[in-house]
Amino acid sequence: MRRPVILLIVFGLVELVRPLGSTGYGAQALLTFGFLLLAAYTVGEIAASIGIPAIVGYMAAGAAFGPWGLDSVSREAVARLVPVSDLAIALIAFLAGAELQWQEVRDRGVALLKVVSTELLLGAVALGATLYAMQDVVPFLRDLPRSELLAVVVLFASVAVVHSPAVTMALLTDTGARGPVARTTLGVVLITDVVVVLLFTGALTVARSLVPIAGAAGLSFGVVAWEIAGALLVGGVLGGAAALYLRFVGEELFLFALLFTLLGAEVAHLAHVEALLTLLVAGFVAENVSPHGSGEALRRAMERSAAPVFVVFFALSGAQMDLSAVLRLLPLLLPLALVRGGALWAGTRLGSRWAGIGDPERRLLWLGLVSQAGVAIGLASVLAGVFPSFGGELRTLLLAFIALNQTIGPVLFRRALVQGGEIAPRARSPAPAEPVGS
Amino acid sequence: MTSGLALIFIVAGGYVAARLGVRVLARRFLIVAGAEYLLLGILLGPQASGLISANAVDSFGPFITLAIGWMGAAVGAEFHLVSLLRISGSAYQTALLEALLTLAVVGAVLLAVFVRLLGEPLGSAIAPAAVLGAVAVTTSASGIALAARRLAREHASGAALLGQLRVSSGMDAVVGIVAFGLLLCLVHAAPPSDVRPPTPTEWAVITVAIGVVGGIVYHLFLAGERNADRLFIALAAAITLASGTAAYARLSPLLPTMLIGAILVNTSRARREIAAVIHRVHRPLYLVLLVFAGAAWRPSERAWLVPIVCYLVVRPLAKVGSARLAARLSGTTRRLGPDWGYGLVGQGSLAVAIALNYRLLDNSVLPNIVFTAAVISVLLTDLMSARLVQATVQRHRRRHAEPASDPTPAEGADAGAAVTNTGGER
Repeated sequence: MRRPVILLIVFGLVELVRPLGSTGYGAQALLTFGFLLLAAYTVGEIAASIGIPAIVGYMAAGAAFGPWGLDSVSREAVARLVPVSDLAIALIAFLAGAELQWQEVRDRGVALLKVVSTELLLGAVALGATLYAMQDVVPFLRDLPRSELLAVVVLFASVAVVHSPAVTMALLTDTGARGPVARTTLGVVLITDVVVVLLFTGALTVARSLVPIAGAAGLSFGVVAWEIAGALLVGGVLGGAAALYLRFVGEELFLFALLFTLLGAEVAHLAHVEALLTLLVAGFVAENVSPHGSGEALRRAMERSAAPVFVVFFALSGAQMDLSAVLRLLPLLLPLALVRGGALWAGTRLGSRWAGIGDPERRLLWLGLVSQAGVAIGLASVLAGVFPSFGGELRTLLLAFIALNQTIGPVLFRRALVQGGEIAPRARSPAPAEPVGS
Repeated sequence: MTSGLALIFIVAGGYVAARLGVRVLARRFLIVAGAEYLLLGILLGPQASGLISANAVDSFGPFITLAIGWMGAAVGAEFHLVSLLRISGSAYQTALLEALLTLAVVGAVLLAVFVRLLGEPLGSAIAPAAVLGAVAVTTSASGIALAARRLAREHASGAALLGQLRVSSGMDAVVGIVAFGLLLCLVHAAPPSDVRPPTPTEWAVITVAIGVVGGIVYHLFLAGERNADRLFIALAAAITLASGTAAYARLSPLLPTMLIGAILVNTSRARREIAAVIHRVHRPLYLVLLVFAGAAWRPSERAWLVPIVCYLVVRPLAKVGSARLAARLSGTTRRLGPDWGYGLVGQGSLAVAIALNYRLLDNSVLPNIVFTAAVISVLLTDLMSARLVQATVQRHRRRHAEPASDPTPAEGADAGAAVTNTGGER
């Protein structure tokens, strides 16, 4: 109870100072960052103490103090903190890659691919069919010509099946869970992240053939191939460089961790390759090529430097949630969310059986895949830019859908980890009896 | 070049320069690391190579403000009252007198220079002169720490003098930060909103309140927390929020964050953990601050040579003279010797932080002259500050013909270490 009271006092003090200030030299961004960090941390701690994942608390704080709530964190301030989100995504990708062991990829890569392909296919078909069936109840679909309707369905399905590496990694970092459910979920999420680039590009191509856009440049196979192959190449080089640093220098890891992820994101941006995949590969190479123990030290340094960045990242995600749109579209979102959940449940069970994956992963995996966050939001924003006629409304629908999944996903994933015996029901640390890295 | 890449390259370049070059020099030739980052920033900045554009410097404004604020917290975290109470009152008296005399002398001389030579009206010349006075007070703590380590390795004597230098270095930081913080309250521009502009006293109360209320609130907030990762998040929130609030209100972040640091290390049961977290993050931010300070440097459009030369000449004279006078007034000349002020001539990153903070304000008078004077002074004195301290201690030892080892340190010697027990990067 003490911390919420203190938060309210700080909120009051910040509001008192607000009329006295000016915005020069990013002072307002710093003020916002500090307040958001404190607010999100406090609400996250409260959430964790009652068994809800801390990241749900972070998002709740963002939503409460953001432009749709108390407006203590304005829209402009949120926009100024976009680099923090970029840094968070880069850190998440690197950490996710560093979690993967070469041995594990070799042993389980094919099995995970089978799960991914099954659940993605089933999810895309089920979600597309549901939206098509809901044509008469979704306002902006009612009067669309058939070709445009099909384009919307294909695009919606390609984004709605995306998972969230950010939520997965943040929850694993927060709880320290490393058991079979945690590792299988992470593996599926990471592979999906690569596959989804191809899936989305394919969906975009289909949609463009259904709804030609005057003057729009085509998305060539070469561009997509470079986005992925280039990311593997650039990520490999970066990971090698990180391994060399760890071998020959190995100091100032806190500073190195931050600079390295910033560098990776910038290089990916300049080379026009997929940033997440680049950093994921870099993390994987750095972890698996580095001398024994030093990769672990770097990962630990990254987790430390990432901690406040994660908190603000999820708080910003909450602040960007259009709560009014979510409430308005809730009757449409609920059936879609149920269908997605059902498809995940069925898809992971079928895929696990095909891949020979047993319990508890087969039973619990779907719970870890419900979350959606940064990648899906980015793809939804791309659609709005590419298809001016219906893109805006499709984006609103998708963002509301993502917000819903973003809120319930971490709760479900945590439940899976508890049921799998990988974390204690109310503790943030892993369950002591659980074997690590199995 | 994008601003992100610019940041990466400058910090990485700075780190490599420090690691490959200066660290070796520091060990072998007793040269303090710090000024080279400043030089690197100047070379990469818009005034030299242009690799970092003026826009890039502006876009990293929040980082610079945070680094300034964190430096204040690092200074405050060194003031653990229980340790400070072990030091004799005469050590504080000497240190305070030296700091105030330096502030007054440098401020007065520069005021005369600005009014007489630059033709600046008296009213507007007070601020830059006083800021240079505050900058002049600060001393390089890392030089003293490095020299102390070397002397300890050689089992050399001089513990009493080193203790006084440490106390003076801490006192100089406090006086410099407080003087600058209060000065910004005096020359504060009216806020852009319709509210009644607060008076200077009210601004001073607001400045102190951000620190005191922040410190108390965070003490309650952090109560019982010992987990290093959660402490880091909460402290980052505290210092960021205090720095952002102060900067937003166009006040100095140094004073409020110094108060927060001091309150937290004195009231929390996790004192050591808090100090450790603050000092762990301080180093990378300090590095970024120095590089960006160098990049932010701009030559003054006014006749800058005379005031800057004047500052560079007057400051060491004022330091040495004030130290001598302070020792005489407090009756410690016999213990410290007449020339102990030479050990305080080195200037470090706190001088840069104060000058940079002043340079970032939109209503400051002669900001480039003030900033250039601070930068040049640091470049000239920081590298050799440890040598100056060592030479001062050795001269003191010869004069007093002390034995080669000093098993019973005089008053203020070991307790003085509490003031700058981390060998902070000031």
